[in-house]
Amino acid sequence: MVKRVLAIILILITGYWLANALAQVPFGADKMLVGKYYLENVKEQTGAVNAVTAVVVNYRGLDTLGEVTVLFIAATGVAALLWRKKRERTAKSEGSVVLQTGSKLLLPFIMLFGAYIFIHGHLTPGGGFPGGATIATAFLMLYLAFREYEIPHNVFEPLEGLAGMGYVAVGLIGLIIGGYFLFDWIWQTWQLGHANIGRLFSAGFIPIIYTLIGLKVGTELTGIVDNMVKEPKEGGQ
Amino acid sequence: MMQYASLLIALPLFSAFLVPLIKRAGKKVILYYLSLVTLIQTGIAAWVFKEVYTSGKPIIVIAGGFKPPVGINLYIGHFAALFILIIAVVSFFMAVFSIKAINVDPIDKYAMLFLLLMLGATGMIATGDIFNLFVFMEITAISAYALTGYNKTGEASEAAMKYIVLGGIGSSFFLVGIALLYGSLGTLNLAQIAMLASKINPTVAQAALALLVFGLAVEAELFPLNAWAPDAYQASPHPVTVMFSAFVVKAGIYAMIRIVYLFKDTQAFMGILNLLLILGTLTVIIGELSALRQTNVKRMLAYSSIAQVGLIAVGFGVATPQAVDAAVFHMLNHAIVKTLMFLAVGYVAVTFGSPHMENFKGLGKRMPLTAFAITVGAISIVGIPLFNIFWSKFKLLLAALQVGKTGIVALILGASLVEAVYYFRLLHLMWFEDGKGEKIEEDLALGIIMLLLVALIVVIGVYPDFVWGIVQKASADLYNVAQYVKNVPLLQGVSP
Repeated sequence: MVKRVLAIILILITGYWLANALAQVPFGADKMLVGKYYLENVKEQTGAVNAVTAVVVNYRGLDTLGEVTVLFIAATGVAALLWRKKRERTAKSEGSVVLQTGSKLLLPFIMLFGAYIFIHGHLTPGGGFPGGATIATAFLMLYLAFREYEIPHNVFEPLEGLAGMGYVAVGLIGLIIGGYFLFDWIWQTWQLGHANIGRLFSAGFIPIIYTLIGLKVGTELTGIVDNMVKEPKEGGQ
Repeated sequence: MMQYASLLIALPLFSAFLVPLIKRAGKKVILYYLSLVTLIQTGIAAWVFKEVYTSGKPIIVIAGGFKPPVGINLYIGHFAALFILIIAVVSFFMAVFSIKAINVDPIDKYAMLFLLLMLGATGMIATGDIFNLFVFMEITAISAYALTGYNKTGEASEAAMKYIVLGGIGSSFFLVGIALLYGSLGTLNLAQIAMLASKINPTVAQAALALLVFGLAVEAELFPLNAWAPDAYQASPHPVTVMFSAFVVKAGIYAMIRIVYLFKDTQAFMGILNLLLILGTLTVIIGELSALRQTNVKRMLAYSSIAQVGLIAVGFGVATPQAVDAAVFHMLNHAIVKTLMFLAVGYVAVTFGSPHMENFKGLGKRMPLTAFAITVGAISIVGIPLFNIFWSKFKLLLAALQVGKTGIVALILGASLVEAVYYFRLLHLMWFEDGKGEKIEEDLALGIIMLLLVALIVVIGVYPDFVWGIVQKASADLYNVAQYVKNVPLLQGVSP
């Protein structure tokens, strides 16, 4: 009881102190000079109409590479911790007819929509992460609908690795051509697509990177679903 | 040409993503591949180290070609160059150790997580951007959670669970701290934050710094947020324990100190230093006293490691140039000694099944080389002259005396005394008690690594001047914030 009261008092003091500090931060005031710089220069420096995308892939590309890695680690960690020699699906019953038909019928459309989200990342809201997550839902539905279903692991795992390597490779090509890691050589050195701003073939390497991220996130999230849905086989270790 | 230092980040990433493609080649191949990659990383790190120390200038890697603060930069100065080299070398040694020590499947996942743990720590030390620091901290932390639970025993899962809960809380503290800074200054670049630090509202600065310090205290294993550490050290695979002690915790404490020192000229600084002193002192006391009671040698070393980190934090808390020199020297020495100790103890555990005290009875007769390595490490940690840690403890003592903090002197001496008790008990067990069992043929590669580290400990102990010179440059990189700001080529017109 005493412990709980002390904890509550501590939380209240900390909360008051934090609120006090937060009240002094001029959120929303015009201090974001970096943000202003992005808005003023985004089109000419990156070719992206969607400024958020340009910040994510160009200006702060190293963070994004890191975030992709974080997700990769999460998927790898889940796979490492849930790993058993033999595992199987343990669902008790098949999905209903509606679910089965729906998941099959919608599969290509969901994937198409996911692909649209990441390919058009430099034009419309969205990008590699939501696009990849959308694609993963298509496979999640298949898992829900069919008791026996499993993704083709010998396609998914190498694809995940290849997409990640592709991202690093794009960065390294930038290092060789432009002299900086993750340099957008397509837009800045080759100057491809400068007349195309606002259309699909523009914004340098953003569509390439977002496609790679989309594939990677899609395969990773699907892999996590696969790992979570299976259980160790009786007798197997 | 200097931009090629970004390979330090690119190589481990690329190699980790390559693992799924070669996993069919078999366990041994993956582990040899791991050794190869870490060896190449060591080569790159050595090149960077040579460049930085011969030119005397830091390497600024500018990602994407956008100058900071618009883009992200890596700042590989004297400190970062030294510790990135340590990270790479220790990782290489541990990759070699993994060939012997890792038998649990899935090896391919282990290799990926191993590389990414190395990458995360490298990035944390190299980065010049506070949000990028957060990303690399997440990479380090999440691969550390997974590696902690890798053995899949109940003990390992419990340790990983504790770590993940505390780590999650720490990360969110850290993120809120960043938000406070960004909200008041409009920049994420460390150099620019230092430049504008005096403009920030003192209340906000204090809150932000406290949040950042508590957030990083989880990774830096400072009391009261280090409850996960002994369990994680004990339960994780032996090579991973070495990595935790040698550089993961160092990366955490570096990040904390780098951020705190950016605010050198503000009112909040003194308060935060006192906080560091208190946290560090408590960490030392609790770590040493807990180490006394352990019967599991790995766990005992874990507590000892925590206590040493506390000493490092105390050194940074004193914050005079001499104290910072001593703290950085202690970081370096501790990394060397604990790599040796955890490697040797891990090797014993691999051979006999567990690192329990029982198995160390008569080790001097059964595994003479390993026992010798543990002996040198133990003597060094206690702080006996002619071994490397003597010098860093001694310098720390002098630095504390200079500012008249006799309490710290008492702390260092007391800690050494307690260390002597539990380490000499172990030595007694190894050399003067009879165990059962025959003499065991010791592994050649591990023997060479242990002898190398022993040689390093003795060389620094006998002739500290050369390494001391390197350490002084590295620590100047930390406390000379004005020079740090000057070195970063900030874009004009994007600062208020």
